[in-house]
Amino acid sequence: MGPKKADSAAMNNASTSELIEDTEKLMAVIDRAQDGDKEALPVLRKVLDEEPRIARFVDLARDVERSIVEKISGNDVFAQEAIPRNLKAMRREIAREDPSPLERLLAERITVCWLELQYFEAIYAQNLGKLTITQSDYHQRRLDKAHRRYLSSIKALAQIRKMGPAVQINIAEKQINTSR
Amino acid sequence: MGWESRQRGGFYYTRSRKVNGRVVREYLGSGAPGQIAALEDEYERRRREEQAAYERELREELDALDASVEELSRASDLLVRTALIVSGYRQHNRGEWRLRRGPKEGG
Repeated sequence: MGPKKADSAAMNNASTSELIEDTEKLMAVIDRAQDGDKEALPVLRKVLDEEPRIARFVDLARDVERSIVEKISGNDVFAQEAIPRNLKAMRREIAREDPSPLERLLAERITVCWLELQYFEAIYAQNLGKLTITQSDYHQRRLDKAHRRYLSSIKALAQIRKMGPAVQINIAEKQINTSR
Repeated sequence: MGWESRQRGGFYYTRSRKVNGRVVREYLGSGAPGQIAALEDEYERRRREEQAAYERELREELDALDASVEELSRASDLLVRTALIVSGYRQHNRGEWRLRRGPKEGG
């Protein structure tokens, strides 16, 4: 068995949960599909179609959001109430009317990335006078990273919108519609 | 910094600091002036320790948050890539996504 065939066998034997857990493995399958490997496509469909863990990303987004809101609000009950409302409005505005499930997930991601960026900026501003140069660099690097993540979250949604209705994935029902 | 005993008897409070790369020892006196300087240094040391502890705790908290958002971002990026590929798209030179020419492959 040649190395390529051995790779194919390993790819087919990998369970979908294994692929989701192991980003490197999933990336390898994506790369193979990109290179035109016909065997990679059914594996990727399975990942989208059968993997219940995918649904947890929406939950993860909400968990992160809740955690940041708690940190920002502290004991301020008005902020505890107002911030989630603003985020909900923001999510709705980003997702627009009747979004596909994938668009909805990406809108969640943009909101979370934006909120994280706001939080990091606030922390940095609060501590500015007290930080050493090393600590300041550390916060600055974290801010840069969060900013890059925010921009790429916007890019991902724009990319999906540009493709139009051809790219539809129903995370809730774990179904995918690739019709054009 | 600390208390130093003198040969003639008694204690002197001293503080060391760097001036142009050289360590210079400052004698702040015995009795009340020395006690005051010692207390000032003690307060400053505690303030630094508290700030360092706060900074450590903050870092741990922000690291955890960062890791969750990173996981979410990476996962949704992979999901987007997977959905695009399954829908017949191909990334051109790691940049623009284009619809693959010809019939869809596989499945």
